[in-house]
Amino acid sequence: MMLASVIQHHVLNIVGGYVLVLGSLALFTWRMLGRARKLASQLPDKDKPWI
Amino acid sequence: MNESNVLHTGTRGSRIIGILALIGLAWMVVFGLLISPPDEVQGDNVRYLYLHVPAAFLTFTAFGVTAVSSILYLWKRTRSLTWDRIAGCSAEIGVVLTAVTLATGMLWGKLSWGVYWRWDALLTSTALLLVMFIGYLALRGLEASPQVRARRCAIVGIIAFLDVPLIHFSVNWWRTLHQPASIGPRKTTFDGPMLLSFFVSLVAFILVYIWLMMHRNRLAMMEQAMDDHGLQMAIAERHAEVSA
Repeated sequence: MMLASVIQHHVLNIVGGYVLVLGSLALFTWRMLGRARKLASQLPDKDKPWI
Repeated sequence: MNESNVLHTGTRGSRIIGILALIGLAWMVVFGLLISPPDEVQGDNVRYLYLHVPAAFLTFTAFGVTAVSSILYLWKRTRSLTWDRIAGCSAEIGVVLTAVTLATGMLWGKLSWGVYWRWDALLTSTALLLVMFIGYLALRGLEASPQVRARRCAIVGIIAFLDVPLIHFSVNWWRTLHQPASIGPRKTTFDGPMLLSFFVSLVAFILVYIWLMMHRNRLAMMEQAMDDHGLQMAIAERHAEVSA
Protein backbone atom coordinates (compact mmCIF):
# COMPACT_ATOMS: atom_id res chain seq x y z
CA MET A 1 0.00 0.00 0.00
CA MET A 2 2.74 2.43 1.02
CA LEU A 3 4.94 1.21 -1.82
CA ALA A 4 2.06 1.80 -4.24
CA SER A 5 1.71 5.30 -2.85
CA VAL A 6 5.39 5.98 -3.49
CA ILE A 7 5.16 4.65 -7.03
CA GLN A 8 2.13 6.80 -7.80
CA HIS A 9 3.54 10.03 -6.43
CA HIS A 10 6.77 11.52 -7.65
CA VAL A 11 8.49 8.14 -8.02
CA LEU A 12 11.13 9.34 -10.44
CA ASN A 13 11.95 12.37 -8.37
CA ILE A 14 12.26 10.59 -5.03
CA VAL A 15 13.97 7.41 -6.21
CA GLY A 16 16.17 9.56 -8.45
CA GLY A 17 17.21 11.58 -5.40
CA TYR A 18 18.27 8.44 -3.53
CA VAL A 19 20.14 7.12 -6.59
CA LEU A 20 21.83 10.49 -7.06
CA VAL A 21 23.07 10.68 -3.47
CA LEU A 22 24.24 7.08 -3.16
CA GLY A 23 25.67 7.14 -6.70
CA SER A 24 27.63 10.34 -6.00
CA LEU A 25 29.10 8.92 -2.81
CA ALA A 26 29.90 5.61 -4.56
CA LEU A 27 31.60 7.41 -7.48
CA PHE A 28 33.69 9.56 -5.13
CA THR A 29 34.67 6.45 -3.13
CA TRP A 30 35.52 4.44 -6.25
CA ARG A 31 37.75 7.18 -7.65
CA MET A 32 39.44 7.74 -4.28
CA LEU A 33 40.15 4.05 -3.70
CA GLY A 34 41.33 3.63 -7.31
CA ARG A 35 43.86 6.43 -6.89
CA ALA A 36 44.91 5.04 -3.49
CA ARG A 37 45.48 1.60 -5.00
CA LYS A 38 47.57 3.08 -7.81
CA LEU A 39 49.76 5.08 -5.43
CA ALA A 40 50.05 2.18 -2.97
CA SER A 41 51.52 0.03 -5.74
CA GLN A 42 54.24 2.61 -6.37
CA LEU A 43 55.26 3.32 -2.78
CA PRO A 44 57.17 1.22 -0.26
CA ASP A 45 55.32 0.03 2.84
CA LYS A 46 57.24 2.45 5.06
CA ASP A 47 55.16 5.24 3.50
CA LYS A 48 51.94 3.58 4.67
CA PRO A 49 51.77 4.14 8.43
CA TRP A 50 48.35 2.48 8.76
CA ILE A 51 49.78 -0.99 7.92
CA MET B 1 60.99 2.76 -5.83
CA ASN B 2 60.02 -0.39 -3.97
CA GLU B 3 57.04 -2.38 -5.12
CA SER B 4 54.52 -3.19 -2.39
CA ASN B 5 51.99 -5.93 -1.91
CA VAL B 6 49.76 -3.78 0.31
CA LEU B 7 47.51 -1.96 -2.16
CA HIS B 8 44.74 -0.77 0.13
CA THR B 9 44.13 1.96 2.68
CA GLY B 10 41.88 -0.16 4.90
CA THR B 11 42.35 -1.28 8.47
CA ARG B 12 40.21 -3.40 10.77
CA GLY B 13 38.68 -0.25 12.26
CA SER B 14 37.86 1.33 8.91
CA ARG B 15 36.29 -1.94 7.71
CA ILE B 16 34.01 -2.12 10.75
CA ILE B 17 32.98 1.52 10.27
CA GLY B 18 32.40 0.88 6.56
CA ILE B 19 30.17 -2.14 7.21
CA LEU B 20 28.14 -0.25 9.84
CA ALA B 21 27.76 2.68 7.43
CA LEU B 22 26.51 0.36 4.68
CA ILE B 23 23.98 -1.21 7.05
CA GLY B 24 22.80 2.27 8.06
CA LEU B 25 22.48 3.39 4.45
CA ALA B 26 20.55 0.21 3.59
CA TRP B 27 18.17 0.96 6.48
CA MET B 28 17.77 4.50 5.19
CA VAL B 29 16.87 3.31 1.67
CA VAL B 30 14.44 0.61 2.84
CA PHE B 31 12.71 2.83 5.37
CA GLY B 32 12.84 5.99 3.30
CA LEU B 33 11.44 4.44 0.13
CA LEU B 34 9.29 1.56 1.36
CA ILE B 35 8.29 1.78 5.00
CA SER B 36 8.04 5.45 5.99
CA PRO B 37 4.42 6.64 5.97
CA PRO B 38 3.66 9.86 4.07
CA ASP B 39 3.73 12.93 6.29
CA GLU B 40 0.44 14.70 7.09
CA VAL B 41 1.72 17.98 5.67
CA GLN B 42 4.47 17.06 3.23
CA GLY B 43 3.08 13.77 1.94
CA ASP B 44 5.70 11.61 0.19
CA ASN B 45 8.11 14.53 0.03
CA VAL B 46 9.06 13.66 3.59
CA ARG B 47 11.12 10.78 2.15
CA TYR B 48 13.76 13.37 1.34
CA LEU B 49 14.09 14.12 5.04
CA TYR B 50 16.23 11.00 5.60
CA LEU B 51 18.55 12.03 2.78
CA HIS B 52 18.72 15.80 2.63
CA VAL B 53 18.96 16.75 6.31
CA PRO B 54 21.80 14.34 7.27
CA ALA B 55 23.71 15.38 4.13
CA ALA B 56 23.29 19.06 5.07
CA PHE B 57 24.36 18.34 8.67
CA LEU B 58 27.49 16.53 7.47
CA THR B 59 28.26 19.36 5.03
CA PHE B 60 28.46 21.77 7.95
CA THR B 61 30.46 19.22 9.98
CA ALA B 62 32.97 18.65 7.17
CA PHE B 63 33.57 22.37 6.66
CA GLY B 64 33.67 22.82 10.44
CA VAL B 65 36.51 20.29 10.59
CA THR B 66 38.26 22.22 7.80
CA ALA B 67 37.86 25.50 9.71
CA VAL B 68 39.07 24.06 13.05
CA SER B 69 42.04 22.34 11.37
CA SER B 70 42.88 25.59 9.58
CA ILE B 71 42.85 27.50 12.88
CA LEU B 72 45.09 24.83 14.43
CA TYR B 73 47.49 25.20 11.51
CA LEU B 74 47.63 28.99 11.82
CA TRP B 75 48.13 28.86 15.59
CA LYS B 76 51.90 28.67 16.11
CA ARG B 77 51.74 26.26 19.05
CA THR B 78 49.89 23.59 17.05
CA ARG B 79 51.25 24.35 13.56
CA SER B 80 51.69 21.14 11.61
CA LEU B 81 51.08 20.13 7.99
CA THR B 82 48.91 17.32 9.39
CA TRP B 83 46.22 19.92 10.15
CA ASP B 84 46.50 21.25 6.61
CA ARG B 85 46.11 17.74 5.25
CA ILE B 86 43.03 17.07 7.40
CA ALA B 87 41.53 20.43 6.35
CA GLY B 88 41.99 19.59 2.66
CA CYS B 89 40.55 16.08 2.98
CA SER B 90 37.50 17.29 4.86
CA ALA B 91 36.89 20.13 2.40
CA GLU B 92 36.93 17.70 -0.51
CA ILE B 93 34.33 15.46 1.15
CA GLY B 94 32.39 18.58 2.15
CA VAL B 95 32.18 19.71 -1.48
CA VAL B 96 30.67 16.35 -2.49
CA LEU B 97 28.17 16.55 0.37
CA THR B 98 27.26 20.17 -0.47
CA ALA B 99 26.59 19.22 -4.09
CA VAL B 100 24.44 16.32 -2.87
CA THR B 101 22.59 18.60 -0.41
CA LEU B 102 21.88 21.16 -3.11
CA ALA B 103 20.76 18.51 -5.60
CA THR B 104 18.37 16.82 -3.16
CA GLY B 105 17.11 20.23 -2.05
CA MET B 106 16.35 21.14 -5.66
CA LEU B 107 14.51 17.86 -6.25
CA TRP B 108 12.53 18.37 -3.03
CA GLY B 109 11.86 21.98 -4.08
CA LYS B 110 10.41 20.82 -7.38
CA LEU B 111 7.91 18.66 -5.50
CA SER B 112 7.11 21.20 -2.79
CA TRP B 113 7.39 24.58 -4.50
CA GLY B 114 6.99 23.57 -8.15
CA VAL B 115 10.43 24.87 -9.14
CA TYR B 116 13.94 23.50 -8.83
CA TRP B 117 15.55 26.76 -7.85
CA ARG B 118 14.70 30.13 -6.31
CA TRP B 119 17.18 32.86 -5.48
CA ASP B 120 16.23 32.38 -1.88
CA ALA B 121 18.59 33.38 0.97
CA LEU B 122 19.25 29.81 2.11
CA LEU B 123 19.68 28.33 -1.36
CA THR B 124 21.86 31.16 -2.60
CA SER B 125 24.13 31.14 0.46
CA THR B 126 24.48 27.33 0.15
CA ALA B 127 25.43 27.67 -3.53
CA LEU B 128 27.94 30.33 -2.50
CA LEU B 129 29.41 27.90 0.05
CA LEU B 130 29.89 25.31 -2.71
CA VAL B 131 31.58 27.83 -5.01
CA MET B 132 33.88 29.06 -2.23
CA PHE B 133 35.04 25.57 -1.30
CA ILE B 134 35.56 24.61 -4.95
CA GLY B 135 37.79 27.69 -5.05
CA TYR B 136 39.49 26.45 -1.88
CA LEU B 137 40.26 23.11 -3.56
CA ALA B 138 41.54 24.94 -6.66
CA LEU B 139 43.84 26.96 -4.37
CA ARG B 140 45.18 23.73 -2.91
CA GLY B 141 46.15 22.64 -6.43
CA LEU B 142 48.29 25.72 -7.13
CA GLU B 143 52.06 25.35 -7.15
CA ALA B 144 53.62 26.61 -3.92
CA SER B 145 55.73 25.35 -1.05
CA PRO B 146 53.69 23.21 1.40
CA GLN B 147 53.91 25.90 4.11
CA VAL B 148 52.83 28.76 1.84
CA ARG B 149 49.99 26.70 0.40
CA ALA B 150 48.86 25.61 3.87
CA ARG B 151 48.79 29.21 5.15
CA ARG B 152 46.86 30.52 2.14
CA CYS B 153 44.37 27.65 2.30
CA ALA B 154 43.89 27.99 6.06
CA ILE B 155 42.93 31.66 5.69
CA VAL B 156 40.56 30.95 2.78
CA GLY B 157 39.06 27.93 4.58
CA ILE B 158 38.22 29.99 7.68
CA ILE B 159 36.71 32.83 5.61
CA ALA B 160 34.63 30.37 3.55
CA PHE B 161 33.35 28.69 6.72
CA LEU B 162 31.83 32.01 7.88
CA ASP B 163 29.06 31.30 5.37
CA VAL B 164 27.90 28.27 7.40
CA PRO B 165 26.25 30.20 10.30
CA LEU B 166 24.75 32.51 7.68
CA ILE B 167 23.12 29.50 6.00
CA HIS B 168 21.94 28.04 9.30
CA PHE B 169 20.27 31.24 10.52
CA SER B 170 19.08 32.50 7.12
CA VAL B 171 15.67 30.84 7.61
CA ASN B 172 15.18 32.95 10.74
CA TRP B 173 16.81 36.19 9.61
CA TRP B 174 15.14 36.53 6.19
CA ARG B 175 11.85 35.56 4.62
CA THR B 176 12.69 32.39 2.72
CA LEU B 177 10.72 29.64 1.06
CA HIS B 178 12.66 27.02 2.98
CA GLN B 179 11.00 25.88 6.17
CA PRO B 180 12.76 26.30 9.55
CA ALA B 181 14.78 23.35 10.87
CA SER B 182 12.64 20.20 11.33
CA ILE B 183 14.86 18.96 14.16
CA GLY B 184 16.38 20.97 16.96
CA PRO B 185 17.36 20.61 20.58
CA ARG B 186 14.02 22.05 21.73
CA LYS B 187 11.57 20.71 19.19
CA THR B 188 11.03 18.14 16.46
CA THR B 189 8.27 18.15 13.89
CA PHE B 190 7.99 14.36 13.74
CA ASP B 191 8.33 11.38 16.06
CA GLY B 192 8.06 7.60 16.36
CA PRO B 193 9.64 5.40 13.67
CA MET B 194 10.24 8.44 11.45
CA LEU B 195 12.38 10.03 14.13
CA LEU B 196 14.22 6.75 14.76
CA SER B 197 14.95 6.30 11.07
CA PHE B 198 16.08 9.88 10.76
CA PHE B 199 18.66 9.27 13.48
CA VAL B 200 19.75 5.99 11.86
CA SER B 201 20.29 7.92 8.60
CA LEU B 202 22.18 10.62 10.46
CA VAL B 203 24.46 8.07 12.14
CA ALA B 204 24.98 6.32 8.78
CA PHE B 205 26.06 9.62 7.17
CA ILE B 206 28.38 10.35 10.10
CA LEU B 207 29.97 6.89 9.68
CA VAL B 208 30.29 7.46 5.92
CA TYR B 209 32.06 10.75 6.62
CA ILE B 210 34.45 9.14 9.14
CA TRP B 211 35.18 6.27 6.74
CA LEU B 212 35.83 8.63 3.83
CA MET B 213 38.06 10.80 6.01
CA MET B 214 40.16 7.81 7.08
CA HIS B 215 40.74 6.68 3.51
CA ARG B 216 41.15 10.17 2.04
CA ASN B 217 43.67 11.05 4.73
CA ARG B 218 45.72 7.94 3.95
CA LEU B 219 45.54 8.76 0.24
CA ALA B 220 46.78 12.29 1.03
CA MET B 221 49.69 10.79 3.02
CA MET B 222 50.67 8.75 -0.04
CA GLU B 223 50.33 11.78 -2.34
CA GLN B 224 52.69 13.68 -0.04
CA ALA B 225 55.12 10.73 0.05
CA MET B 226 54.98 10.54 -3.75
CA ASP B 227 55.82 14.24 -4.02
CA ASP B 228 58.71 13.78 -1.59
CA HIS B 229 60.05 10.79 -3.56
CA GLY B 230 59.73 12.78 -6.79
CA LEU B 231 61.71 15.63 -5.25
CA GLN B 232 64.40 13.28 -3.93
CA MET B 233 64.73 11.61 -7.34
CA ALA B 234 64.97 15.01 -9.07
CA ILE B 235 67.73 16.08 -6.63
CA ALA B 236 69.58 12.79 -7.15
CA GLU B 237 69.37 13.18 -10.94
CA ARG B 238 70.67 16.75 -10.68
CA HIS B 239 73.58 15.57 -8.51
CA ALA B 240 74.37 12.83 -11.04
CA GLU B 241 74.36 15.38 -13.88
CA VAL B 242 76.69 17.70 -11.97
CA SER B 243 79.06 14.81 -11.09
CA ALA B 244 79.19 13.65 -14.71
